[in-house]
Amino acid sequence: MAAAEAAGLIAVGAGLAVGLTGLGAGIAEGNVGAAAVGAITEDASLFGKAMIFMVLPETIVIFGLVISILAIFVM
Amino acid sequence: MSLPESMSRIVIVGANSRLDQAIDVLYSMGTVHLIDHTVDADEGFTLGTPRPYAPKASERLLKVRSMEKDLGITKKTPTNVVSVDEIKKKLSADSVEFAEDEVISVLDKKNDLNQRITELNAKKKSLDVLSKLDIDLDMYSGYRSIVSMVGTVAVDPSVALSGIPCEVEYRAGSKKEDGIAAVFCRVEDKDKVQSVLSDCDFSEITVPEDTGSAAAALKKVEHELVSADAEMVKIEGELAALLEKHKDFLKASEEELAIEVDKGELPVRIASSAYSFVADAWVPTKKAESAKIEIESKVEGTYVEIIENRGRTMKEVEAAEDRFKEVPTKFNNGRMVKEFQYPTKLMSVPKYQEIDPSILIAIFLPLFFGMMIGDVGYSIPFIILGAYGLKVTHHKDWRAIATVLFFGGIWAFIFGLFFYGECLGMHFVGEHTADDVTYTWQYLLGLDNLPAFFEGILPGGHGVTKLGADWIGFQLKLSVYIGVCHLLLAYCCAVYNKTLQHGFVHAFKEKGGWVLSFIGMVLICYSLAMILIYGQSFDSVMIIIGIGAVALAIGIILNIPEDGMQAVLELPGIVGGVLSYTRIAAIGMSKAGMALAFNYICIGMIYGGLGEGPIALIVAFALFAFLHLMIWTLGILSAGLHSLRLQFVELMVKFYEGGGVEYEPLKIKRVKTTSDKEKA
Repeated sequence: MAAAEAAGLIAVGAGLAVGLTGLGAGIAEGNVGAAAVGAITEDASLFGKAMIFMVLPETIVIFGLVISILAIFVM
Repeated sequence: MSLPESMSRIVIVGANSRLDQAIDVLYSMGTVHLIDHTVDADEGFTLGTPRPYAPKASERLLKVRSMEKDLGITKKTPTNVVSVDEIKKKLSADSVEFAEDEVISVLDKKNDLNQRITELNAKKKSLDVLSKLDIDLDMYSGYRSIVSMVGTVAVDPSVALSGIPCEVEYRAGSKKEDGIAAVFCRVEDKDKVQSVLSDCDFSEITVPEDTGSAAAALKKVEHELVSADAEMVKIEGELAALLEKHKDFLKASEEELAIEVDKGELPVRIASSAYSFVADAWVPTKKAESAKIEIESKVEGTYVEIIENRGRTMKEVEAAEDRFKEVPTKFNNGRMVKEFQYPTKLMSVPKYQEIDPSILIAIFLPLFFGMMIGDVGYSIPFIILGAYGLKVTHHKDWRAIATVLFFGGIWAFIFGLFFYGECLGMHFVGEHTADDVTYTWQYLLGLDNLPAFFEGILPGGHGVTKLGADWIGFQLKLSVYIGVCHLLLAYCCAVYNKTLQHGFVHAFKEKGGWVLSFIGMVLICYSLAMILIYGQSFDSVMIIIGIGAVALAIGIILNIPEDGMQAVLELPGIVGGVLSYTRIAAIGMSKAGMALAFNYICIGMIYGGLGEGPIALIVAFALFAFLHLMIWTLGILSAGLHSLRLQFVELMVKFYEGGGVEYEPLKIKRVKTTSDKEKA
């Protein structure tokens, strides 16, 4: 029973790790993306720089994903 | 290291009488990057004036382009190639003007007709409504004391108008259409009637000037419209005939005229005096001598001097005159790396004094892509699609994508076969037990010789299991180690760039601190991980911590004069940067997770669960194909973008400055015209 409970909690934790980081990255990327599209419309050569800023927040989700993978498979 | 090609500055001096000849030679060489002359840069020289033929050529170019627009000739319209001699002959015989006369006369006819059709349509619309009333058209006007108002109304106005002496003729409309009312009243009652009518949503119709009934007039207008339409078809036919007649000439002359305009306006970019011209230009150093010989031999009385072979130090830049400070960047890459210049340019053109990162991107972008995909099944379509794209497309965006798919696909195949041992999310080798949710090709196809075939090749006998508990730690660690190497390379490039520009001492002061901080942070984090995760004692990693701490301390001390507090605040960023590479493993795992679920749905639940008949097999196979296609498509997006991001954000940010000017030599590109002389 305790083992099953622990497994359940781990699954919840893993879900939270991906879900919350996903939310955070989504909010950040939404703001960055809106500004980036605006900037690119003005000057298409900014695409490279805009893309860098655009994908910066995605790292957070990757961290979340790594944590959840560790939680499920390693712990 | 891949630096932009080294450049030399030359000065070309010649007589104005030979200017046309010189311009032709410069364009035919295709190696001369002209430096724009600035006003007052040299005493006694001013900007040149366009060649006498340039204004006429630009005027004709304008005419040609406007004709192309009128006739609907676009970039994609297929036309035949015309020889330069022929097009020149035609241009000097005023063919542009003749063609323009023809096109304009037909276009004028078309415009007049269009206007007539619009008028007729408007008339038809009013007559359509008026024909519901039995009143002749000439009855609406021509009175001295009576006015008529006719138009559409939402409700019958007769009741509302009963207090005013007037005659009302009303026909109710259908559900969708308003009704129509004609009101005749005395001139003095006009305002009152109008205000009543406006309450009924009255919208006035202008009665066309005609006699007889509206229905008869409507028939007449309809008849006129039919003949106008027929005439329009005829004119469209004339235009189509003109398009056929002139399209080759127009496309070819557009190209020829554009070249003439370019050449004719070249003197505006160079210095000129009463009798001579002076042009400054950059040419690749290895072609400087041959360029000098070619220009001097082909253009009589011209002298070319090689002023300098520009080095990479910033001292040389500072010593140079403003307009000679910036050296154009000529990419110096082989055929394969050339395809990876696109992502570099997406960021910015490299400066003359720094490493062109295209080669690093060419190595790591496909490698990371391949590692993230790591599956034989997905890699083969990638390779085929990439190879096909590289063969067929010339559009630079598509070529860039095809390049990544092709080379990334090859890496994915290598990793899939020799590292992960996987195809479509299933290992080649392995047994399957009843309560297992994973399948292997050995089990599915009953190939018992697979283990013997892969023996000694795959790690752990069956390859790295992306979602196996035993392998996850290994994959994450591997990604982190790759990250450390990749970032260390980036820092080394930064030191190399600064050494080129300012010498080693300066480079060490500016970037060496960061290299040391990076190494220090990595060693300390490694030791901490050893203690906290693997439970090793502090003593066993003390030496590593010690070296790390010393490196970090020296790094911070070196960085403080240059970067201030950033030297300390940026340290967590180093850890973040390294951990960012865990995405290589994480994206592979996320795809493996999807593949595992989909395989179980298709094989375990549909084929195994619903029965093993042919229908279950077909359904399972169709779903299997569709779901894996989905993973494959997602793979392009996630693996492609993330491996690109690792290059842009983690690698290039560490050393790449960019902001250079691309090398654009004067040259002629002919597509629609051919010239035997220029080819030879």
